[in-house]
Amino acid sequence: MEQLMLLLSQSGAANLSFGQLTMIIAGLVLIYLAISKRFEPLLLLPIGFGAILVNIPGAGMNAAPVYDAAGVMLSGGGLLYYISALGLDTGIFPLLIFLGVGAMTDFGPMLANPKTLFLGAAAQFGIFGTIIGAVWMSSMGWMDFSLTDAAAIGIIGGADGPTSIFIASQLAPHLLGAIAVAAYSYMALVPMIQPPIMKALTTKKERAITMTQLRVVSKREKIIFPLVVLALVALFLPSAAPLLGMFCLGNLMKESGVVDRLSDTAQNALMNIVTIFLGLAVGSKLSAEYFLNIETLGILVLGLVAFCIGTAFGVLMAKVMNLMSKTPINPLIGSAGVSAVPMAARVSNKVGLEANNQNFLLMHAMGPNVAGVIGSAVAAGVLLSFLG
Amino acid sequence: MSDLLQEGLNLMLMGMGTVFVFLTVLVIGTTLMSKLVGLTTSQSDIDSKARSQSTAAREDLTELAAVAAAVKVIHER
Repeated sequence: MEQLMLLLSQSGAANLSFGQLTMIIAGLVLIYLAISKRFEPLLLLPIGFGAILVNIPGAGMNAAPVYDAAGVMLSGGGLLYYISALGLDTGIFPLLIFLGVGAMTDFGPMLANPKTLFLGAAAQFGIFGTIIGAVWMSSMGWMDFSLTDAAAIGIIGGADGPTSIFIASQLAPHLLGAIAVAAYSYMALVPMIQPPIMKALTTKKERAITMTQLRVVSKREKIIFPLVVLALVALFLPSAAPLLGMFCLGNLMKESGVVDRLSDTAQNALMNIVTIFLGLAVGSKLSAEYFLNIETLGILVLGLVAFCIGTAFGVLMAKVMNLMSKTPINPLIGSAGVSAVPMAARVSNKVGLEANNQNFLLMHAMGPNVAGVIGSAVAAGVLLSFLG
Repeated sequence: MSDLLQEGLNLMLMGMGTVFVFLTVLVIGTTLMSKLVGLTTSQSDIDSKARSQSTAAREDLTELAAVAAAVKVIHER
C-alpha cells in the first residue's frame, strides 16, 4: 500500500503544475496547427512535441547532468538537455540548416537582375523598425526588453527561421522559445499577412506591370557568385560569416555540380535530421517559467509588426526603383524581399495574377526573395557585431 | 527621449546603413563578376562547346548506323 502511494505521489497527474499544464496545452495547439492547418509542419510539429515532453513533471527530459564533488556522474541528464546544449546553445543547428538552405537556393533570377538585392535590403527595415518598437515598449514601461532582447525580437522580421533562432540563441537565449514560435507561425501566415499590405500600397495599374524576361545566367556565374559573397563577407562583415559562410558552402556544392552526393545530403538527409533535433530543442525552451509571461505576448505582437513593416518597405522600395529604372519593375516583387522562401515569392505571383492574369511574377520575385535571405543574414551579422 | 530609445535609433541607422552599403557593394561585385564572366566566356567558347556537342551527336548517329547495318547483315544470313 505504501508503495502504491509512493507511485501515485510520483505520477505526472499529482505533480502537474498549472504552468506545465498550460504549456502542454500550448504544445498541443502547435501540433494541431501543424497537422490540421499545415503551419510549417516540419518545425511546429517537433516543437509542439518537445514542448509537451519538457513539461512532463518528473520526466526530467531537460535536466542537466548532476556530478558529485569528486566529479562522478550521479544522474545522466535528459535527452532534450543534451540536444539543446549541443545544437541550440552553440548555434550549430541553425547553421547546418543554412547549409541545406544554401544547397537548395538558385541564385539565377537574382544574378539575372542584381538590382533586386536592394529589395532584399529594404525589407530588412522590418527588423530594425521592430527593434525601435521593442525598446519603445520598454521605455513606456509595458515590457522589460533590453537592447539585445529587442534585437533578437526584431530579427523575426527577417522572416528567416534559422537566422531568428541563431540570433536568439546568441543574444537572448531566454526568449528563444517565443521568438522561434513567432517566427515560424508568421512565416506560415505570410499568405494572409502580406496581400492586404501589398494591395494598400499599390494601384491596380502598378500591380499589372509586366516585367521583361530575365536573361539566361551561365553556370560559371552561379559558381563564382557564392565565392564573391564569401569574399565580401570576409572583407566587410566577418560577424555574418557563420551564417553566410555555411550558406555559400551549400550553394557552391549545388552549383559546382561535382559533389552531387554532398549537396544531396545537405539538402535532404542532413537537413531533415537537423530539423528534427532543432524542433525538439526549440520545444524544450518552451517551459512555463520562460514562456508564460507578458513578454511573450509582446514578442508575438512585435513579430507581426516586423513582418508588416518589412513587407511595406519592400513594396515601397520597388515603387521607387520602378520610377528610376529603365526596365519596368512591378512593386509586388518588393514584398518578396522579406525572405520566407519561397512562400513570399508565391504571394507576389498570386497577387500579380489577380491584377493581370497573364502576368507571371514568380521568377522575378525569386530574385528579391533569395536576396532577402542574404539581407537578413547581413542584418543578423550587424546585430551580432554591435551587441554580441 | 530615453537612453534606450536613443540606442535603438542608433542601432537602426547603423544597421540599415550597413545592410544597404553591403548589398550595394554586392550588387556592384555581382555585376562586375557577370561582366567578367561574359567577357571570358567569349563567343568561341560557346561555339566550341556547341561544336563538341554536335560532333558527339554525329558520333552517336554513326554508331547507331553501324549497329543497324550489323543487325541487318545478321538478319540477312
